[in-house]
Amino acid sequence: MSVVEASPTHPETLGPSPRRSVGSFLRDNEIDTRMVGMIVVLLVIWVGFHFLSGGTFITPRNLWNLSVQTSSIAIMASGMVLVIVSRNIDLSVGSMVGTVGMVMAMLQVEWLPALMGRGNSWIWVATLAVGLALGAAIGALQGSIIAYIGVPSFIVTLGGLLVWRGFAWLTASGRTIAPMDASFQLLGGGARGSLGDTGSWILGGIACVGIVALLVMGRRRRRKFGFRLRPTWLDVVLGFLGCAVVLAAVWVMNSYYLPENLARAYAEANAIPWPEGGLQVPYGIAYPVLILLGVTLVMAFVANRLRFGRYVFSIGGNPEAANLAGIKTKRTIVKTFMVMGILVAVSAAVSIARLNAAVSGLGTLNELYVIAAAVIGGTSLAGGIGTIPGAILGALVMQSLQSGMVLIGVGAPVQDVALGVVLVTAVAIDTIYRRRAAR
Amino acid sequence: MKRRLWALVAVIALLIAACGGDEGTDTTDTTEGGAATTEAAGATTTEAAGATTTAAGGAEGDCVVGMSWNNYNEERWAKHDEPAIMAALEAGGCEYIQSDAGSSEEQQITDVENLIAQGANVVIILAQNTQAILPAVQGATDQGIPVIAYDRLIEDANTFYVSFDNVLVGQLMAEVIFDLVPTGNYIVLKGNGSDANSDFLREGIGAVIDAAVEAGDITIVAEDYTDNWDPGLAQTQVDQWLTQANDDVQAIVSENDGMATGAAAALDARGLLGTVALSGQDADVAALNRVALGTQAVSVWKDARALGTAAGEAAVQLAGGATLADVEGTGEFVYTNKETQAETVLTSILLTPIPITQDNLNEVVDAEWIAVEDLCAGGATAGPCGG
Amino acid sequence: MTTTPPGGRTPLVEMRDMNVSFGGVHAVEDVSIDLNAGEILGLVGGNGAGKSTLVKTLAGAQKADSGEIYIDGKLATIATPRDAKAYGIETIYQTLALADNQDAPSNMFLGRELMTRWGTLDDSAMEDATRKIMGRLNPKFQNFKTPVSSLSGGQRQSVAIARAVHFNARILIMDEPTAALGPAETEQVRQLMRQLKSEGIGIIMISHDIHDVFDLADRISVMLQGRLVGTVNRGDVTMDEVLAMIIIGKLPEDVTTTELEQLHG
Repeated sequence: MSVVEASPTHPETLGPSPRRSVGSFLRDNEIDTRMVGMIVVLLVIWVGFHFLSGGTFITPRNLWNLSVQTSSIAIMASGMVLVIVSRNIDLSVGSMVGTVGMVMAMLQVEWLPALMGRGNSWIWVATLAVGLALGAAIGALQGSIIAYIGVPSFIVTLGGLLVWRGFAWLTASGRTIAPMDASFQLLGGGARGSLGDTGSWILGGIACVGIVALLVMGRRRRRKFGFRLRPTWLDVVLGFLGCAVVLAAVWVMNSYYLPENLARAYAEANAIPWPEGGLQVPYGIAYPVLILLGVTLVMAFVANRLRFGRYVFSIGGNPEAANLAGIKTKRTIVKTFMVMGILVAVSAAVSIARLNAAVSGLGTLNELYVIAAAVIGGTSLAGGIGTIPGAILGALVMQSLQSGMVLIGVGAPVQDVALGVVLVTAVAIDTIYRRRAAR
Repeated sequence: MKRRLWALVAVIALLIAACGGDEGTDTTDTTEGGAATTEAAGATTTEAAGATTTAAGGAEGDCVVGMSWNNYNEERWAKHDEPAIMAALEAGGCEYIQSDAGSSEEQQITDVENLIAQGANVVIILAQNTQAILPAVQGATDQGIPVIAYDRLIEDANTFYVSFDNVLVGQLMAEVIFDLVPTGNYIVLKGNGSDANSDFLREGIGAVIDAAVEAGDITIVAEDYTDNWDPGLAQTQVDQWLTQANDDVQAIVSENDGMATGAAAALDARGLLGTVALSGQDADVAALNRVALGTQAVSVWKDARALGTAAGEAAVQLAGGATLADVEGTGEFVYTNKETQAETVLTSILLTPIPITQDNLNEVVDAEWIAVEDLCAGGATAGPCGG
Repeated sequence: MTTTPPGGRTPLVEMRDMNVSFGGVHAVEDVSIDLNAGEILGLVGGNGAGKSTLVKTLAGAQKADSGEIYIDGKLATIATPRDAKAYGIETIYQTLALADNQDAPSNMFLGRELMTRWGTLDDSAMEDATRKIMGRLNPKFQNFKTPVSSLSGGQRQSVAIARAVHFNARILIMDEPTAALGPAETEQVRQLMRQLKSEGIGIIMISHDIHDVFDLADRISVMLQGRLVGTVNRGDVTMDEVLAMIIIGKLPEDVTTTELEQLHG
C-alpha cells in the first residue's frame, strides 16, 4: 500500500493511531460520535425523569405514549433536515399542517361521504391521497418561488405561515371538525391503532435481520474493493447492540397492555372466553410510530443512497460548485420543499387522527419544534450538515423533556423555559465541538 | 431583478388577500384622520379635513363601532358572536369595522388605535391579555371613545364589561361534575395562563369543590394551565396525568370544550371515555355531540348570540352619547385583582349561562344553536335524538 | 502579431470575437484566441482584464453575448457546464469548486456519480476509482472518507485536478493553479501539466505569476480591460515585453526602451 500520510485529526491507519481515545476510535470506524452522544443524553434524561417521577417514566405505558407523542414532529423533522441542509428554511410547516389537516378532516367528514356515500371503506384512502397531493402541491409552489424567482426561503415560508393559517380557518370557517373516519382514526394510535404483539415481533425480527444484513453486506463490499475493514469484533458488537435495542423496544411496546375494560371489549369482539386472571392484550407498536419508522427509513435512504440526496448535500456545501458540476440545483430545491410538503401531510394525518378532531389552530408553532428537533439532532443552520436519524433523536429528546416535565408536574411556563434552554445548549455544544474538530 | 420584484408583489398581494378575507367585514375607507366627536369629559374634537365618506351599504351618520378580536381563529366568534353583534349594530344604525390581532398583545394595541383612526366612536375589545391591553384602553378613553370589554374583563373602571358571569360558569360545570362524583380523584384542566377567564372559572369551580377538597373527599391529582387553550396540548397533558395517576381518576373538569376534545381523546385511548366525568364550556358541536352520546357530562352554554346582541346594543347606546351608567340593564361588578388585591368597580352586563346536560339538550336544538343531525351523530339516543 | 499553429493543424479550440457585458460594462470585448492540442496557452492580464470571464464562456459557466467557439474546427454550442464536459472541456476554478462538506470521492464524481444497477449511489465504486486516480497523481493522499474541508490546500488542489483529469479531458482550463500552493506542491503541479501536455491535452492557464507562465506556456495571450492586446510565442519575447503588454498594452514591436525601463519604476 502507499505511504501513509499522518493527519492530526483524522488518522486512517491500519494499526493503532498515536492518540487513542474513544472518540477517535469511533470516528476511525465510521461510527457517528455525535449520535452516540445524543443517545447517551437521551438515556440520562430518561433515567433522570424516572427517578423524579417516582418510577413512572421508564414504564411500557409511558414509553408507548412517548413514542406516539413524538411521531408527528419527528416525521416533519426528517424533511426539515433536507431543507436546512440545502441552506433553506421552512417556517410554514405548522400552518401547512393546519390547512392540510383541515382539508383532510372536511374530506372525510363532509365532502367524501356526500360523494362516495357514508361509511365507505375507501374514504380514508381517498382522504390520505388528496392530503398528500395537497401537501406536495403547496411545497412545490413555495419551492418554485424560492428556486426560480429567487425570493429567500425565509420570506416565502414566513408568508406561507400567514397564508396557510388563514386558509386553515377558511376551510371550515373556524369550526372544529370531529370525529374522524373510523379507519382513518387508526393512524393516530390508540386502542385499536397498534400492531399487536405478533406483528410487532415479526417486524422486530425483520429489523434485526436487516441490521445484520447491512453490516455483512458492508463488510463484503469493502473486502471486494480491498478497503480497510472494521475489526470483526466491533461489527459483531454493533450487530448485537442493534438487534438488542430493536428487540428491547418491541418488548416494551408489547408489554403495554390494554386496560381492563378495553381488553374485555376485545375479548368479546373476538369471541375469546374471559380467563380467570384477566386477559393481557398487548398494544404492540402504534401505527403512528410505524409510519414514523417507515418515513425515517425512506428519508435516510433518500439522503444517503439516492442522487437527489447527494445533490441536496452538495448544494448545501457549495452551491456554486454544485452548479458548475452540472447539478440542476433549482429543480433539486423545489423537490426538497415538495418532500417537506408530503411529510407535512403525513404528520397532519397522524395529528388529526390522534386528536380525533381537526381544529383551525392545528399545528400552531409546530415549525419551531420541528426546526429545533433537526438542529438538536445535528443539522447546521449554515447548511451542508445534518442527518435524518439525528433529527428523529432530536425530536425524541424534546418530547421526552416535555412529557417528562408534565409527568412530574412542572408548570407550563417553566416547561417553555426549559425547552428553550436545552435548544440553545445543544447548539452551543455542537458549535464548540465542531470548532474543535476543525482545528 | 424585475422578476423578483413582481414575485414579491405577488406574494404580498396573496398575503393581503388571505389576511383580509374574513367574512362579513366592513373595513372601509372612512374619514381621514380624526375620530368623531363625543361628549365624554376631556374629549378632543377633531375635524376631518374635507368630506367624511361613508361605506357603501353601511348606515349613514357618524355611528361607527370597531371590534377588536384577539384571535378570530375559534369556532364561536364567526358563527355566533359576530353575526349577533353585527345584527344589533345594523338595527341601531351603526357601521361595523373589525380587526384580528392573531393572539398578539402588541398587535391588539395597534388594532385598537387603527379602529379609532378609521373613525370608530365605540370600540369593543375581546382582550388577548387583560393587563397588556390597558394602554390601548387608556388611549381610547383619553380620546373620549367608550370601550366595551367583551367576554374578557379589562381591569379599567372606564370600560363597560359585557360577559357571562364566568365565575358562575365554573360553578355550574363543577356542580354537575360534583353531583356525579362527590368523592374521588379530579383533574382540573385550565385554560390559557394569561387569560383572566381561566382564573374566574377556577374560582367558580373552587366554590363548589373546595369544601370537599379540604375534607379529603376529593383529591386534585393534577391541575395546570394549557397554552392557548390548545386541544392537542391538553391531550398530551391528560395522557401524562393519567399515566402518573395510574388511571385512577374519576373526573376531569375541563374549562372549555376544545380542551375537552383533547381530554376525551386521551380518555378514549385508555377506554375511560364515558366512565370518567368530563365537563366543558362553549357548547360547540363536538362537545354537544359528546353530551348526547354520554361521554361528556356537561357543557356550559353561553349563548354567544345573546352576548353579541347585548354588546351591540350597548355599543349603539354609547355611540349615541349615553354614559356607561345610562345603558340599559347594567349592574355593578366588583373585580378584585388576586395579586394586588386592588378593587375595580365595573359597569357591566353579566348574562346567565346555561349548563347543558343530557336532560336539557332540547334547549340548544330549540334555540337553533345546533342542528339535530349534528347533535345526534354517531348514534346518540338521548333527548331529542329519540330512542 | 499573429501566431502560427505548430504544423499548421486545426486548432483544438478557437474562440472568435467573444463579447460579454455586464450591465453596460464590457468584461470581454471582441476577443479571439485559440488553443492547439499538446500546447499550454498562458492567459495573462491585470485585475479586471476579463481572463476568468473569457474562459468561463468556454467552460459553460457564463453565457457570451456574441462570438463563436469552435472545437476541432466545428462550431460548438456550450450553454451549460455539462455541455462543456461533453466536449471534453474540464475546468479547475480558482476557488476549486469543491463541496466542502463531502469527501474526495463524492467531489470527484460530483454530478457524474457512479450508480449501482438499482439506481442507488455506488459509493464503494467511486471510492475505489478515486483511490486509483489519486494513487497515480498524489500517492501520499490518504483521506478518502473525510470532508475535503479538512484537507490542506495542496490536497484539495490535487482532488480538483484529479477530477478534471479523470474524465478524459482534452481541453483543460486552469485558473491560477498554483496560487495557493507551496513550492513543493507547485512543482508537482508543473510536472503534471507538462505530462498532460505531452499526452496531447491542450491547457489554457490563467496566471498572474509571470515566471510560471514563462516556465510552462508555449504561447501567451495578453488581455487588458476586456480586450486582447495580442498573442505571442513565448520563445520570441522577454518577460519585460510581456509585462509591457500587460501593463501598458503595447505589443513588443511598438514599445520603447524607455517604457520598458519605466516598468520597473
